[in-house]
Amino acid sequence: MDAFLDFARGPLFRVSLAVMLLGLLRILALDIFGAVEAYRKAGDKTLPWRFIVRRTLMWLVPVNRVFTRRPAYSLFSILFHVGLLLVPIFLYAHVELWRGVIGFGWWTLPKEWADWLTISTIVFALALFVGRVGSVASRFISRKQDYLWPLVLVIPFVSGYICANLNVGPATYQISMLVHILSAEVIFILLPFTKLAHCILTPLSQVISNVAWKFPAGTDDDVCTTLNKKGAPV
Amino acid sequence: MSTGQITAEERQKAFVSTRKPEVIEKQKLDVRYHIEDFDINDRPRQFLEAFAAILKHSNYRMALDHFIRVSAKCSRCATTCQVYQATGDLKDIPCYRSELLLSVYRRHFTMGGILRGRVTGSGYLTDEKIQEMAESFYNCTACRRCVNDCPSGIDHGLVTHLGRYILSEIGIAPRALVVSTREQLEGTSGNTSAIPVPALVDTLEFLSEDMLEEKSVDIKFPLDVEGADYVFFPAVSDFLMEAETLMGIAAVFTATGDSWTTGTGYFDGINYGLFYSDRILERVVKKIDVETKRLKGKTVLIGECGHASRSAKLFLPTYCGGEDAFPVINIMEYTHRVWKEGKLKLDPNGITEKVTYHDPCNIARQGWIIDEPRELLKAFCPNFVEMTPKGEDNICCGGGGGTVSLDEIRAYRTTIGGKLKADQIRATGCKYLVAPCANCKKQLKELVEDQEIDCEVVGLHDLIYKAIIFDDSLIVAIPEDDNSEEDK
Repeated sequence: MDAFLDFARGPLFRVSLAVMLLGLLRILALDIFGAVEAYRKAGDKTLPWRFIVRRTLMWLVPVNRVFTRRPAYSLFSILFHVGLLLVPIFLYAHVELWRGVIGFGWWTLPKEWADWLTISTIVFALALFVGRVGSVASRFISRKQDYLWPLVLVIPFVSGYICANLNVGPATYQISMLVHILSAEVIFILLPFTKLAHCILTPLSQVISNVAWKFPAGTDDDVCTTLNKKGAPV
Repeated sequence: MSTGQITAEERQKAFVSTRKPEVIEKQKLDVRYHIEDFDINDRPRQFLEAFAAILKHSNYRMALDHFIRVSAKCSRCATTCQVYQATGDLKDIPCYRSELLLSVYRRHFTMGGILRGRVTGSGYLTDEKIQEMAESFYNCTACRRCVNDCPSGIDHGLVTHLGRYILSEIGIAPRALVVSTREQLEGTSGNTSAIPVPALVDTLEFLSEDMLEEKSVDIKFPLDVEGADYVFFPAVSDFLMEAETLMGIAAVFTATGDSWTTGTGYFDGINYGLFYSDRILERVVKKIDVETKRLKGKTVLIGECGHASRSAKLFLPTYCGGEDAFPVINIMEYTHRVWKEGKLKLDPNGITEKVTYHDPCNIARQGWIIDEPRELLKAFCPNFVEMTPKGEDNICCGGGGGTVSLDEIRAYRTTIGGKLKADQIRATGCKYLVAPCANCKKQLKELVEDQEIDCEVVGLHDLIYKAIIFDDSLIVAIPEDDNSEEDK
């Protein structure tokens, strides 16, 4: 078990972290290069930057849109995301691990906050799952991953909570810790290749959509040539 | 405001097809709008070839790549879509509609999709899927209201726009739009309503005479004036159907004394390319550029029309010189500016009845022109009331995206697309419903008629014409009535 844990904590963690970071970097770069290339080809180079910034911020911190549509589901989603982001990054134990590896740390959550945020993340993840299953419209457009992600994402939170707060025996602790680490690594590895990619791409959505409406000039001729339609009547 | 679904009887009425079964059988396409005959062989291959060609020569690929990665399927868009709200048909959820095309893109144009398809031997584009897209992309009014409520920032309106574009390349486009565009680009009249120049001249002279009689002011529609500040392009159908709007605009220019002109070489702001084909969009927008250059005009002035304004504003720079392109303004921007400058006087009690304002999607959805018309209306309508929601979150008239031109789906438009709008209008109890858009006006007139709502659909300048106060220096003596001779 110890060997398993060491392997999970060591090489496997490094590999999964590398896959996540490189994968996210790749899709971010593709997005940015795509947008830059599109902008370069665009006949009209003016972009409504104020509008784009306003919309981007509106959705990064969607407090003013939360109650406009599916209010309960949207509120659960926001609260779920708060814990999902804060706990892994600002948990004292995690920061200390980083400090041991990279030599410095950062602000950490007070223990009580971290515990409550962990519980709330689990609760709201399950609420999102129920919200998806309970809505006919949601069910109709949902893919397998849409159902699975809330359930998968709570695994490291549940196992982490057990390790940090419950008075369990060493064997249970080790199993919980292994589950905690392995589930986090699975999430790391899948993150760039699934809808979780939105964690890094969503801030670019408004730019992308607005650039997409900036068409290249002269495509009529190009498309006609490619499709052998030059001179064809309307 | 009711957000209920349509009743069984309304559903039956809305979905009645006016197409002949033999035509549907011949075209192998069961949609509610008319289509000219097209090549039905090997449609999936044709569709993919057109898709590939468009991807090669456009900027869509980067947007599609982004959309397939970020889509979270939260279903908030379902709660914004007025079509889905009315039909309750799950296939009308914007996210589902977009997925129709995004799945084709993912399967046939991404490495992962191609590999997965090869391994599993599945996911090929089929005739059935093309059929579903042909139906779905024209159920949508392309109002882009769902875009405002997508946390992932997916522009479902852009996907619908692209879907229609690809379909048009394989011959699937509403006949009403294609026929009008053909007349505009290849016909003798050169405009979508097939109005010959002599008829235009007669119409404008007649309107001038009318206005002289009504207002005792010599209000003209200048034609082919070189070097004018503003070259005017209304939706050409206004010359046939919206005389009061044109009169209001001419009255404003007469009051301000600014130079404007309509070109007899081309006088149509309509651009159906925005609804079904980027290629058409480009060719039509270039006609505006050519005419403005011919007249040595300074600014392109678009009349009361949402899609005409958006297509010119957005795509004149795209296709006609970028920063060097002619600036484009909508008539409401002009009128608001001259009123602010004090060049335009309006009677504060010009319209005492209850008035409300409908935001055309193409003008308001991204916050372009929202406050200006309201400020104007409040200046002469003491009984101005708002609809809820409004502005960027407005509810579409129900005939957006060119569907208003499809008379064969009128029942669908006024029962389904316009259901929420009808509820909104009823709630205001207005006498005048101001809709500064040719498409909105047509749809809303049909909507209030079919839904039996007691109000009059007008343009902003229709009411301005009623409320305008001319400077005394412009008042002229009315000439002797020629009819007195005839009466004898």
